[in-house]
Amino acid sequence: MITTPDLIESLVANAAPVRRLRPPVARAVGWLLFAALMLALLAISHEVRPDLALRLRQPEFAIGIAASLATGVLAAIASFTASIPDRSRRWLLLPLPALVLWVSTIGYGCLVNWISLSPSLPLGDEAGCFALLVLTGVPLSLAMLIMLRHAALLAPTRVAISGGLAVAAVTATALSIFHEHDASAIILIWNFGTAVLLVALGGAFGRRMFSWVAYAGK
Amino acid sequence: MSPSSHNRGPDLTLIAGAAPSSASDSRPGPEGPAARELDWSIYMARAQGGDREAYRRLLEEITPYLRSLAARRVPNRSDVEDAVQDALLTIHAVRHTYDPSRPFGPWLVAIANRRIVDGLRRRGRTGARETPLDAEHETFAAPEANYHEAASEARALREAVESLPPGQRDAIRMLKLREMSLKEAAAVSGMTVAALKVATHRAVKSLRKVLGRQDRRT
Repeated sequence: MITTPDLIESLVANAAPVRRLRPPVARAVGWLLFAALMLALLAISHEVRPDLALRLRQPEFAIGIAASLATGVLAAIASFTASIPDRSRRWLLLPLPALVLWVSTIGYGCLVNWISLSPSLPLGDEAGCFALLVLTGVPLSLAMLIMLRHAALLAPTRVAISGGLAVAAVTATALSIFHEHDASAIILIWNFGTAVLLVALGGAFGRRMFSWVAYAGK
Repeated sequence: MSPSSHNRGPDLTLIAGAAPSSASDSRPGPEGPAARELDWSIYMARAQGGDREAYRRLLEEITPYLRSLAARRVPNRSDVEDAVQDALLTIHAVRHTYDPSRPFGPWLVAIANRRIVDGLRRRGRTGARETPLDAEHETFAAPEANYHEAASEARALREAVESLPPGQRDAIRMLKLREMSLKEAAAVSGMTVAALKVATHRAVKSLRKVLGRQDRRT
């Protein structure tokens, strides 16, 4: 085993200048701008659902989309802040109110549309849905992973769960903008299922993914 | 160092109006831990810019502090040093996350605690699969320490002798185990000396076969 003074010597020898991280909120804004860019590109390639203006006038849809967007923004800020060692982990609770609102609109949607729940979606529709999720979710997750790689040695699981929530919420927002809600309950369940899946993946593999990115970067 | 003044880690704040004492003075003066922490903050800010001398001083000064933090949670002495080195490596890896406008102590303590807890968990995991080497697992060169083995060999020998034909068995018992002379044995058993010699020779030969021994001692 290397002795501690030797370790200090070798660390000093490797003390190249480093660039300080920008304030967490600024970094969160950076990530959100990237997310906005992704959504804009999707809006150009896909088309925004034709009935968007109409649906936005419906309060439960507007509240749902606003809640999911707010969850994404707050969860991103929470992840970037909580990844700094000396910040309180209570920051991770920041997206909670928006999350509760979002989940309750999903629940409400399910309740209202329970009767109109059609047994199954056409297969192509579900595939398109899934493609959209992957198209937004993967780049956003990767960007978040790389931007938060310093959390690998600190609090990977907590930060990964929060980051997963941010990605899920933004992805769900994209889904509501681009995908027609003909079988709205199913889409809502899809939304929520994806969110749970992403958060669970973040919790299960976040530690491993973070350490992978952290070591690959050296 | 003044170990008496801190029990719970430096949950200190910068003293308003405290002049940033010049970094050339590395001694933690009589002002106490707050001034020392301010020094550390300045050293780290310089180290982020690539100042190796400041970085060396910082690492050397925080090492005893990290050691005292670790010693409070880690029972084993060599594991304490492991935890200290782990914390130093982590501090090196995430030194860009320190914001010099914030106090240094909480940043340092958060990282150190994180690594200490991780180390305890890791050791707990491996420890669950290991068996400590106790005194009763040890063996010594002294013959008394190995009675166990000798006892089992003696039993094997006794059983082998037991399995011999009666004439050979009696000859071996009298001449080898009781160490009687040929004359005494002849008198006791009524066999001739020559017959005793032959019986002993055969007995030793078949014992050798039974025990699978190759040694030439008779």
